[in-house]
Amino acid sequence: MAYVRTCQRPALPGVVVESQHQGGTTPPLPLDIPQKPAVETRHRFCDTVVIGGGSAGTEAADAARSEGHDVVVLDAGAGEEVIGVYPGPLVVARVQEGPSSTTLQVQPREQVIVATGASAIQPIVPGSELRGLLTPVAAQHMLDSGIDLGRSVVVGTHPTQLDLPHESGELVRFEGDARGQLVAVVLQDSDNQRRVECDTAVVSLGFTPRNALARMAGDTPVQVVGDAALEGDLPKCPPDGIFCPCSGVTMDDLEGVVERGFEELELVKRATLAGTGTCQGSTCLPYIRSFLSERGADLQPPFTARPVNRQLTLGEIASGAYDHATPRTELDAEHRRLGAHMERAGGWWRPWTYGEPDAEYWAVRSGVSVCDVGTLGKMQISGPDALRLLEWIYPTKVATLKTGRTRYVLMLDERGYVLDDGLVAKESETRYTLTFTSGGSSFAELWIRDWAEGFGLDVRILNQTASLGAINVTGPLAARLLARAGVEKLPGFAAFRRDTVCGIDCQIFRLSFTGELSYELHHPAGHSVNLWRRLIELGEDLGIRPHGLDTLLGLRLEKGHIVVGQDTDYDSTPRRIEHEWAVKLDKPDFVGREAVVRTNSVPLDRKLVGLELEPAGAEAPIQGASLYDGDRYVGYVTSSADSPVLGKAVMLGWVDVDDAGEPPPNVRVGGAAARVVAPSFYDPDNLRARAKVDVAALREAEAAGATFSASVPGPALTPTFERLEATRIVTTPEALDEALGEGNAASLQGARAMRTAADEVLVLGKVDLISIRESLRDEHCIVLEETSLAGRWIDAELAAEMLERTCAWERPGERPAFAQGTVADIPVKLWFEDDRVQFVVSNALVLDLEERLG
Amino acid sequence: MNEYVERKVTFTWSEPRSSYDVVIVGGGGHGLATAYYLATRHGITNVAVLERGYIGGGNSGRNTTVIRSNYGIPEAVRFYQRSVELYEGLEEETDRFLMHDKKGLLWLAHTEMGARAERARAEVNTAFGAKTEYVEPAQIKEICPQIDLTGNGKWPVVGASYHSGGATARHDRVVWALAEGAMNRGVHVHQRTTVTGLVKDGERVVGVATDRGTIGAGTVLSATGGWVTRLAEMAGLRLPIRSHPLQAFVTNHYELQFPSLLSSGDLLFYVSQTARGEMLMGAELDPQPSYSTRAGHPFIQSCAQRAITLLPFLRDLRVLRQWTGICDMSPDYSPIMGTTGVDGFLVTTGWGTWGFKAIPAGGEQMAELIATDETPELIAPFSLDRFARDRTLADRGSSGTH
Repeated sequence: MAYVRTCQRPALPGVVVESQHQGGTTPPLPLDIPQKPAVETRHRFCDTVVIGGGSAGTEAADAARSEGHDVVVLDAGAGEEVIGVYPGPLVVARVQEGPSSTTLQVQPREQVIVATGASAIQPIVPGSELRGLLTPVAAQHMLDSGIDLGRSVVVGTHPTQLDLPHESGELVRFEGDARGQLVAVVLQDSDNQRRVECDTAVVSLGFTPRNALARMAGDTPVQVVGDAALEGDLPKCPPDGIFCPCSGVTMDDLEGVVERGFEELELVKRATLAGTGTCQGSTCLPYIRSFLSERGADLQPPFTARPVNRQLTLGEIASGAYDHATPRTELDAEHRRLGAHMERAGGWWRPWTYGEPDAEYWAVRSGVSVCDVGTLGKMQISGPDALRLLEWIYPTKVATLKTGRTRYVLMLDERGYVLDDGLVAKESETRYTLTFTSGGSSFAELWIRDWAEGFGLDVRILNQTASLGAINVTGPLAARLLARAGVEKLPGFAAFRRDTVCGIDCQIFRLSFTGELSYELHHPAGHSVNLWRRLIELGEDLGIRPHGLDTLLGLRLEKGHIVVGQDTDYDSTPRRIEHEWAVKLDKPDFVGREAVVRTNSVPLDRKLVGLELEPAGAEAPIQGASLYDGDRYVGYVTSSADSPVLGKAVMLGWVDVDDAGEPPPNVRVGGAAARVVAPSFYDPDNLRARAKVDVAALREAEAAGATFSASVPGPALTPTFERLEATRIVTTPEALDEALGEGNAASLQGARAMRTAADEVLVLGKVDLISIRESLRDEHCIVLEETSLAGRWIDAELAAEMLERTCAWERPGERPAFAQGTVADIPVKLWFEDDRVQFVVSNALVLDLEERLG
Repeated sequence: MNEYVERKVTFTWSEPRSSYDVVIVGGGGHGLATAYYLATRHGITNVAVLERGYIGGGNSGRNTTVIRSNYGIPEAVRFYQRSVELYEGLEEETDRFLMHDKKGLLWLAHTEMGARAERARAEVNTAFGAKTEYVEPAQIKEICPQIDLTGNGKWPVVGASYHSGGATARHDRVVWALAEGAMNRGVHVHQRTTVTGLVKDGERVVGVATDRGTIGAGTVLSATGGWVTRLAEMAGLRLPIRSHPLQAFVTNHYELQFPSLLSSGDLLFYVSQTARGEMLMGAELDPQPSYSTRAGHPFIQSCAQRAITLLPFLRDLRVLRQWTGICDMSPDYSPIMGTTGVDGFLVTTGWGTWGFKAIPAGGEQMAELIATDETPELIAPFSLDRFARDRTLADRGSSGTH
C-alpha cells in the first residue's frame, strides 16, 4: 500500500498501479498481521557513493573510479532506492530483489554525490489526472520505441526537442471521456480560449531538481551534479486545479490561506497540508513558491527535506535493528531448571521467584539460602592514586578503612544527589574492590573513568561485573554451610578474605542485605554453576533453597535497606534519605560536597521514613500508595511488603516534614493507619547480621572429611561456543607497549593478545599469571584470570557474510587483526586470521549473539 | 473538499511599536498562549510576541501532540490536569477546529517492577484528579486489539496504567487559534524578528534589541525553546538547562482505527494515530546534548523495531517522514516557570518532552503571574529558585518519552 508519484522500477506481481491518488480515500489499517522474520540489512563500505545511475551519475562514478576510488552507485532504476542521507555520512537504500527487499547501508569514506536528476513539473489544471498526458522525456522514449501516440501535441511554456506540434497558450484544463482518456486540451491566448483535440498531450512546464537528498544532508558535505543541481523552473499558477494531488488541495485553498495571513511557505504547507503527503512536495512545491512570489513576497527557499525520501515499510526500516539484549548470569540455566520465574531487573535477567515465596523467605530467616547476586556491579581499582580517586568519588572516608575491611558507600553527583550505592573493600594501600547496584554499574564505570581521566590520575581500572559471579549465602545456618564447604576462616562483619569454598577460589565478603548472617562469595564466573550446585547439595539437610529477587526485596525492606532507584529519586540527597552518616563533611572535598553543604543550610522539606501499618494483620498497601496526615497529602510509599516474621506490613516512604524537620508521627494510607518509625523493622540492633561466628567449632562439627574435586569452568551457555581460557591485564600504556610491541593484535607468552585499550589487554590461551605480573614494569598492574568469555571460530567466508549483515563498522584489512565493537548490537571482539575469524563475547550475551548471527 | 485545510483562522500582522507593556520572546505554543490569556483573561493587549522564524515553527510544530496528566508527583499531576481540562474546552472557546481527540493512553509494563510502577502511577493520578486506572492484559487487548501481548515472545505485557484523559490535538491548529485569538484582541505577533540582546536599565530588563530595532518592554518573558540558555545569558542568568534532540516519525495515512495512545516505559517507545490517519511514533531523547534537528538513522531503525515488537501490523506500513525537535531538560525533569530574580525578566522553559501538553495551563498561569505580579499557587513549585532552595521536583515515574 504505497503511494508513489512516478513508477521508476518495474511493477511487481500483485502490485496494482493506479493512475492518480487524489487524497480522498485512505486504506484500512491492517489489524491482524502476525510477526514475521526481519528484513535483512547489508553494510557496505566504500570511498564514494553516487546516488543516481543516469548520465551525470555515471560520469561522476567514472571520474571517481579513475582516481582510484572504490565507488558504489545506487540507481533507483535498478531497484536501489535511496531513502536518506544521514550523518556519518550514511546512505541508506531500499533494494528490491525479486519479490523481496533488503536494506543497504553504505558508509563512504570520502564523499556522497547526488545525481538524481530533475523531474518534469506536473500540470495541476483540471483534468491533470487523465490518461494521455506525458512528460517530454516519456514521450521521447515512447516515440523512440515506435509507440503510436495518436494525435499528439506539446503544450506548456518550455520548448522541447520533440518532433510534434507545440500549441502555444496557457493551460486551462484537460478534457477527457468517461473512461478517463484525454480528448482535448483547452488553452488560453490573451483573451482567446482554444480547444485542441488530441489523444496525447506532452506537457512541458520545465523542470524541478530532485535534490531532496542533498537538502536533507545538512552539514554532511554532499556534491550535487547534473540536473539535480539546476535552479529549477517556477511554473505559472493556473486559476483552478489541484496543486497538491497527495492531499487533494486546490488553488482555491491556496489562495484562501494566503489571503488570511499564512504568508510563510512553511505556514502555507501546514495550513493546507500540501507537501505533507506521499511525494513530500515534489508536485506542489514549485507551484507554492511561484504563487507566493507572484504575490510579491521574496522567493522563499524550498521547505525542509527530511528522510525518508522514498517510501519503505517499518519492517524494512527496522532492518538491522535488534531488541535490547538483556544479559544473563552464569546461573541462568540453573534458575530456569529450578523452575524460576525470570524477570528483567536492573538490566539483567534475574530469578524473581522459584514459585514458593514463603519457603524462600523462611529459608533465609530460619535456615540457609543462596541467592544469585552476580549482577552486582564489581570493579577493581589499583594504582598510586587509587585512594585519591576514591576519596573524590565517595563522600565517606576511605583513608580510614583498614586492609581487609569493607565500608558501605554512597556515590553522589555534583548536585549532591544519590547516584548509586555499594561497597568499597580495601585489599591494600593501593588496591581496592568496589561494588555497585546491578543497574548502576555501567554508569558507574563511565563516571569513575571520567574523573580518573579528568584528573589524570595514575590508576588501573577493571570492570569485573560480568567476569565475577557472586552468590550470597545467607541465613542463621550460613556459617555452618560454609564450614562444610571447607573454608578455613570466615571474615568478621564488614570484612572480607580469600578462601576456598567447595574447592573454588572465592573472595568472601561478610555483609548483610537480608538482615541475616550473610557471606557474599565472589568467584570467577566460569565456576558459578559448580559453586551453586555444590552449596545446594551440601545444604540439603539444612533445608537450603534459593531465593529470588522478590523475596530479597522484602527481606531488605524488613531491615530498612534502601534500593537506589526505587526508594530514591533523581534528587535524593543523603539528608533526605537519612544517610548523612555515610557523608563526611569534614573531608576536604568530594563530588557533591559543595552541593550537600549548600542544601544542608536550607530547611528540609521531606524525607524517607519507615512506616508500620496498624493494626497488625492489615494487608500491605501497594507501592506508590498515597500518605495523608488528616486530609493533607504528605507523601507516598516507595516500598511495601507484608513481613511474615513481624506479622505486619512494613514500608518505606517519602513524607513531608514540618519546620522542625519532623515528619508527622502517624499517617493514613488507604483505609489504614500507619506509624512513622525508624526504618529498621527487623533486628534493629543487628544482632543477627553481626552474630559472632566460631568457625573453628563449626569446622570441627561440620567439616570432617570434606574434600572437593577441583573445579573446572563449565561449558559456555550455548554449545556452539566454547568457554575461553583467558587473562585480563590492566596496566600502564607504556608497560603494555613494552610487553606487546606495536599493533593491537599481538602475542604474549605465545598466546594471542588483543589490545582492547591503551591500558588493557585480553590474552587468550594458557599463560603464567605470576610471571606476567613480574615481567610487566608496573607493580600496580591488574592481572586476572578471565573465565566469563565464550568464543567461536568461523570460516572466513561465512564470517564475512555474517558481518555484512550484522556489523555496521568497517573491519581491518590486514591479517592477523583484532577489532572490537558491536555486532548485531552486542559487544564483540573479533580476531581475524587468513581463513577464519574468532568471535569472542561475554557469556552473559552469548545466547543472544548466537541467535542473531543465525 | 479537503477537510484538513485550515479555512477559518485569519492572522492580522502589524508593524512593531517602539514599546509594549509585555514582550514575549518566542512565538511557539507557550509564548502565544501567554499572550492569548493575557488578552482574554486580563485585558492586557499591549503585548508583542517576537518570533525569529514563523509561529509554531520550533518545537510547537515538531512534537507528537500528546496531551496527558498521568505524571508521578502531585505538583505535576495537578498542573497537567489543569492543561488537560483547558484543552478540552479550547475548541469551543476559540471556535476553531483543533482536532482535539480524547482517546485514552495505555502505559505498558513488561516486568513486575514496571507493573508496580504503573500501579503507583494510577494511585497518585487518582489522588490528584487525573483519571488513571491499572488494567490487566485482557483489558489491554480490549482497548487495543492490535497489540501482541507477548511482545514478539520477548517483551510480554504484564499490565498497564490506562489514563482515560489522554488525548491528542493538531499542534499547528492550537498555535494558530491562540495566535489569532490574541491578535484579534490587539496583540502584535512579529515573525522573522530575532532578539539579539536584552536592554537593561541598571539591573532591570526594560526591553529587547532585535534585528528590526529596539523594542521597550515593561516585562520580558522568555518563551523560547532550544536556545533559552543563550537568551538568559543576556540577562546575566545561568539556567540549569541542557538541550537534547528528540526524534519522531509518521507513516502514510490510514483509516482511523487505532483506538488509543500507547506507550511502553521499558521499551521507551510510544505510538498514536493522528487525526489524519498517520501512525506517529517516537522514542527517548538522544543522549548527547545538541541543537541539531537533523534526523538520524539509528533512531528510526530502533524505534521501528520496538514498534513492530508490540504492534506487528505496523511492519507493513510505509514510513512517510521523520523529524527532530529540541528538548530543554532541567535537572529534575520538571519545567521552570516564573520569576528569575532579574527584575522585568520572566522565563517559561524546561519543557523537555512535555511542552505541548502544557501549552494552555502554562500560558494561563504565566499570564496570571504577569497580570497580577504574584506567582499562582499552581506553578509556584516550578519556580527557578527551587534549585537553590532544594525544593526540586524529580518525577522518576514520568520523565518518559513524550
